[in-house]
Amino acid sequence: MLMISPRMASGMQEKQYTPSLLNFFVYNPSFGQREGEEEKKILFYHPSDVEKNEKIRNVGLCEAIVQFTRTFCPTKPAKSLHTQKNRQFFFEAEDNFWIVMVVRNPMIEKPNKDGKPPTVEYQEEEILDTVYGAVVRQCYSMYKLFNGTFGRAMEAGGVELLIQKLEKFFYRYLQTLHLQSCDLLDVFGGISFFPLDKMTYLKIQSFVNRVEESLSLIKYTAFLYNDQLIWSGLEQDDMRILYKYLTTSLFPRHSEPELAGRDSPLRPEVAGNLLHYGRFLTGPTNLKDPEAKFRFPKIFVSTEDGYEELHLIVYKAMSAAACFMISASVELTRDFCEQLDGLVGPQLTLLASDICEQFTVNRRISGPEKEPQFKFIYFNHMNLAEKSTIHMRKTASVCLTSVHPDLMKILGDINCDFARVDEDEEIIVKAMTDYWVVGKKSDQRELYVILNQKNANLIEVNEEVKRLCATQFNNIFFLD
Amino acid sequence: MDGEAQRSTASWENATLAPVDSLRSERAESPMPGLVEGTEPGAGQKSAMFVHAQSFEDLTAEGEDEREAELDKSGECADELKVLVGEKSVEEQHNIDVTSETRTKEEDVCSEAWRSHRKHVFVLSEAGKPIYSRYGTEEALSSTMGVMMALVSVVEADKNVIRSIHADGCKVVFLTKSPLVLVGVSRTSQTDKELLRELLYIYYQIVSLLTLTQLNHIFQHKQNFDLRRLLAGSEYLTDNLLHRLDRDPGLLLSAVTCLPLASSARDVVSSGLQAAKSESLVFSILLAGDRLVTLVRKKDQFLHHIDLHLVFNLVGSSSSFREGEGWTPICLPKFNTAGFFHAHISYLEPASQLCLILVSTDREDFFNMSDCKQRFLERLSKRSAYQALKEALKCPSYSVEQVAIPELRHFLYKSKSSGLYTSPEFPEVYQSDAEQERLMGLYQDLHSSLHHPSRPLRSFYRCGESENLLAWVTSGFELYLCFSPLGTKALALSAVNKLLKWIRKEEDRLFILSPLTY
Repeated sequence: MLMISPRMASGMQEKQYTPSLLNFFVYNPSFGQREGEEEKKILFYHPSDVEKNEKIRNVGLCEAIVQFTRTFCPTKPAKSLHTQKNRQFFFEAEDNFWIVMVVRNPMIEKPNKDGKPPTVEYQEEEILDTVYGAVVRQCYSMYKLFNGTFGRAMEAGGVELLIQKLEKFFYRYLQTLHLQSCDLLDVFGGISFFPLDKMTYLKIQSFVNRVEESLSLIKYTAFLYNDQLIWSGLEQDDMRILYKYLTTSLFPRHSEPELAGRDSPLRPEVAGNLLHYGRFLTGPTNLKDPEAKFRFPKIFVSTEDGYEELHLIVYKAMSAAACFMISASVELTRDFCEQLDGLVGPQLTLLASDICEQFTVNRRISGPEKEPQFKFIYFNHMNLAEKSTIHMRKTASVCLTSVHPDLMKILGDINCDFARVDEDEEIIVKAMTDYWVVGKKSDQRELYVILNQKNANLIEVNEEVKRLCATQFNNIFFLD
Repeated sequence: MDGEAQRSTASWENATLAPVDSLRSERAESPMPGLVEGTEPGAGQKSAMFVHAQSFEDLTAEGEDEREAELDKSGECADELKVLVGEKSVEEQHNIDVTSETRTKEEDVCSEAWRSHRKHVFVLSEAGKPIYSRYGTEEALSSTMGVMMALVSVVEADKNVIRSIHADGCKVVFLTKSPLVLVGVSRTSQTDKELLRELLYIYYQIVSLLTLTQLNHIFQHKQNFDLRRLLAGSEYLTDNLLHRLDRDPGLLLSAVTCLPLASSARDVVSSGLQAAKSESLVFSILLAGDRLVTLVRKKDQFLHHIDLHLVFNLVGSSSSFREGEGWTPICLPKFNTAGFFHAHISYLEPASQLCLILVSTDREDFFNMSDCKQRFLERLSKRSAYQALKEALKCPSYSVEQVAIPELRHFLYKSKSSGLYTSPEFPEVYQSDAEQERLMGLYQDLHSSLHHPSRPLRSFYRCGESENLLAWVTSGFELYLCFSPLGTKALALSAVNKLLKWIRKEEDRLFILSPLTY
């Protein structure tokens, strides 16, 4: 991505480039071990038009780095390589299967006089290893969610099938990586929970029970409102990646029709169905269509002894979304879908308006929102709960933050400090721009606060954070 | 290539400041934050002794004439080599008494014990030939070093530069300073930048023995020259420097600490050195152990803190200078990488800790320097200041209790404009070597957070289970405080003001406020 820097040096423009994806490849060093067959190690390579020898050379370098690092730490593999121009991230996703992502450092291009080529200055300290390391792991988790493990593809159809699956998945997925807006939230990979009163929560729980009882094919259910999770029957790690898929890919793609007016052509056909606003986000767009196909995406979730394959049905009414997961061995029919639509549609519509009402009441009680003096990110490692007032609503393409990227990186630096020591800690720093940044780690919880009180001192900052904890997290104990 | 390496190393030097010669009259009674640099406690009153921001490259303009003279004198490189080999016997003498027990060369390089060393350092030539390894013999490690060089070359072939490799709890840092390649492998939490700084010190250590001109000359003539032939017997200097890097706050802060001494006595000593001058004399340095008593320099010539630490390391690593007057060539790489100075090194009295270093430009100047020393000693021994100096040697440090701040365990204070720092002795809780290195590690973490290359900070407060730490940097000073875990934020905040006041009160004793020149 190119941004023109507002700074104009003597009438000539500096161009600033944000970090970008240079290469992404998957290889297995145990393949093609004979001289001249090195290409066989490579299972996927992006961009695909790179010359063969260059691919082999780049994979060879990764192999050498990993091997060399074993001289000093045989048990902990190399995770990243820093060079002047780029950073490479290594991840051994499964035995001998390595995923490597190469990210170009951000750079500034300064034009030269007299037609000389511009000077390029790489900014080597801008990329945080923890953030992009997490992005690589997320890539694998997402592949695994829709395809199962690499090993599974190998068993089912050998290297050819694996190569095919990798091609098919990553070709599209890599286009959705927005490396310039990755930050601390990618490290957490958390789930945002929707705050709810007990009554409404019970209503939702009984709704889930009723549906699961009536439609016994349903194995797992998840319930979301406003892109935030309320209920999930899945394992935490599976829900974490499914949540990521729903909120950054599926929901944003389907948000337009609801925003569009009633008569807009974008609005799906709801004729003859005025009882509810329910519709399928996966599977058939219109049940009445005689040509409609009843195929749903398949996902893989973990079980006690491996993994199972499931149909993923996502059904939405207004801001409420329910995910129903059904064993992939069952074939889903028009009948079933109509039954589900008839049962879930009206109830979900009703629930959605209940939640909405309660949500607005709560908002009114807490008073009109005025810009607070602080912004924060909270994460709980136990239940993966995350909360951020720094991030604006995520869309499919960008994740907007309301603070300067340097401050976000300072949060990342503090997070690295916390990760090094396994004890409760508190860090308070003052940036050169006079913003205060506070990090607290207590038990499994982490809280990061940015304060815009330039003239405050350490004690006042501490008081401010105490007040924040009391209002936002009144039931959570933080080390003082 | 080299330009790149230069740039990356220059960035941390920028943290320090150029000497300021004005503004000395405005010394506030009660030093508060926001002090103008040059008026902070500990700032010298007349002119700075060291050069900070300016590196050798900045100095070349003024130093040009002298450098040429130096080169003329040194003559042919081959000639230099002979000189060096001649000096070898001196070096070997040093070797006998130093750190033979710490040098675990014969270690099995495939063993877990070898792998688990906190910090490995390797030096190799661009042909991949081993030059130095901190642990294990170079022979046993030649294939490992070959791989290191291969990694450097492969990345270079892509018009790129390798910087570091990261694994959980272990990192490998590369520094290419043609014709040498230095590699550090560390299990500490230090940042890449801190590790690079340490590798750079090792590079300068090697240059100080050979000069860069000679180093380049050797490898231009014979690419796969075995440099160990020239460096044999000097490895202990590198070993010792690495040991210092783990323990000496001065190397971390790019600063030097002084022997606490009444300013009246220090001034007498300084003027004694000033009087004992000679045509070729550039720097006169008086040390008490690792502490500076005073430094007198030729007008317009500055000594870089790195060069001074290399001199400290040379003197501190060897007891052979105790046996008489030493005369050794030394290159001060931040001053001039092309030529040798010649240092006259001797102790004032046989059993004394006071070591005098007279740095001369003339190779034939031994007797002249010896005479300077005699003149200085004769003059000094007649003065009562000598007695005061000897008394001061009995308590070369002070305890943190003297500062009288509750829960304060230890601190480092650096005056940026003078390049001097002060710090109390380690308290009870940090008596063991391991504990002291841990505390140094905490300071290193604070230092690298404050001096982050792209996101520097004004202050850093960390509250943990073992201690609470506060670090603060302004244009005038850097301050690092270590409190017991019982210390509160309010206490830390008030401690800063109290401590600055105390240092202001004691600055005559703790710092060199009026450095002299000849």
